[in-house]
Amino acid sequence: MAAPSSSKRHSILPPAQAGPKPPVQFSSSITIADSAILIGTHPITISTESVIHPRAQLNSLGGRITIGRRCIVHERSTVGAVGTEGGRGAGGTAEQSGVTLGDYVTVEVGASIETGDTVVGEGTNIGVGSKIGGGAVVGKHCTLTPYTVVAAGDVIPDYTVIYSNGLRRQDRRGVAELRNKGQARQIEVLKRMIPSSPAKFQ
Amino acid sequence: MSRRPPRGEYIETDTGNKVARKATLVGTQNIMLGGKTVIMPEAMIRGDLVRTLQPSPSSSGAAPNNTAVAIGRYCFLSRGCCLRPPGRLYKGLFTYMPLRLGDHVFVGPGSVVQAATVGNYVHIGAKVAIGEFAIIKDYVRILDDTVVPPNMVIPSFSIVAGQPARVIGEVPEGGHEAFELRELYKTVGNNPQPAPV
Repeated sequence: MAAPSSSKRHSILPPAQAGPKPPVQFSSSITIADSAILIGTHPITISTESVIHPRAQLNSLGGRITIGRRCIVHERSTVGAVGTEGGRGAGGTAEQSGVTLGDYVTVEVGASIETGDTVVGEGTNIGVGSKIGGGAVVGKHCTLTPYTVVAAGDVIPDYTVIYSNGLRRQDRRGVAELRNKGQARQIEVLKRMIPSSPAKFQ
Repeated sequence: MSRRPPRGEYIETDTGNKVARKATLVGTQNIMLGGKTVIMPEAMIRGDLVRTLQPSPSSSGAAPNNTAVAIGRYCFLSRGCCLRPPGRLYKGLFTYMPLRLGDHVFVGPGSVVQAATVGNYVHIGAKVAIGEFAIIKDYVRILDDTVVPPNMVIPSFSIVAGQPARVIGEVPEGGHEAFELRELYKTVGNNPQPAPV
């Protein structure tokens, strides 16, 4: 196992972006961190007041990415990951839809949403490290707890909570409205904290 | 028999911290390292998420405390883990709160920690998610793939596992030694020493 140890110094700069620079369509009020990663060939649309954290990856190789209003995409998450199953991968036709996030969606740290007509409904919270397969349709106001796996092509009804390795129940608290308000507050704060540089991606 | 890594992979500070060049530290001015802490490559710390509401707004003179993440001595942050301060609505406004780690805290690879407080001598396994505002006391062992729900309080000397996390046992008598991270600290860095067997 004694591989020759290379003595070359490692750069502290983030690695150069792999792949082509995608066409983007940003609202003027979004917050996107400088170190976010946007790759792919299809268009990426981000609507008003959404926040993209540092090191979040939006990949439009498999189809266009549409992000609704007031979404938060946390660090290290991948929207539009090229999936192993169900996803079409690279080389689709021009107007293919990859991933569509509704309004008020939160994608937490390290979550990944595979490409291929995947839809996430309004107000849904995708927990830490979760994985949503290509073509899955997640309803409105769902809660996916950390490390949930949604199979490719699965359809999840509105107000579903997925927890404890795949168990499901209905959320009957009726707090969707409040959650949206909380999200708006959080975005106000994040807007001041994260230096935004949309020009870098345009 | 660890292979000697390329020279200068870590930045070693005067206080003995070993920070990998490939670690992602955002908002470094708000991250406090107690000393002798190891941060491995690809670990991420969100120091930019500082508290927006100061506890006493009228305290003029004293500089506002802007620490977002405070880490004690001999902590070990493995590859790919992520520390981020928890945030919530407080009096109608959203604010992040500081994340505090005690001494001898091990964070396993791929884990995400959004706790309020982590005590001393805590072992967090691989791919663990710790929810916002969880409080973890001293001498706690969290096994791999555990999901600690938000606001959970884990008492001292517990062993915790499951999704969601439950206390499944106690740290046995005399089991404290295993939490000590001094030896592990020596095995990484630019001049690593082999681990004693």
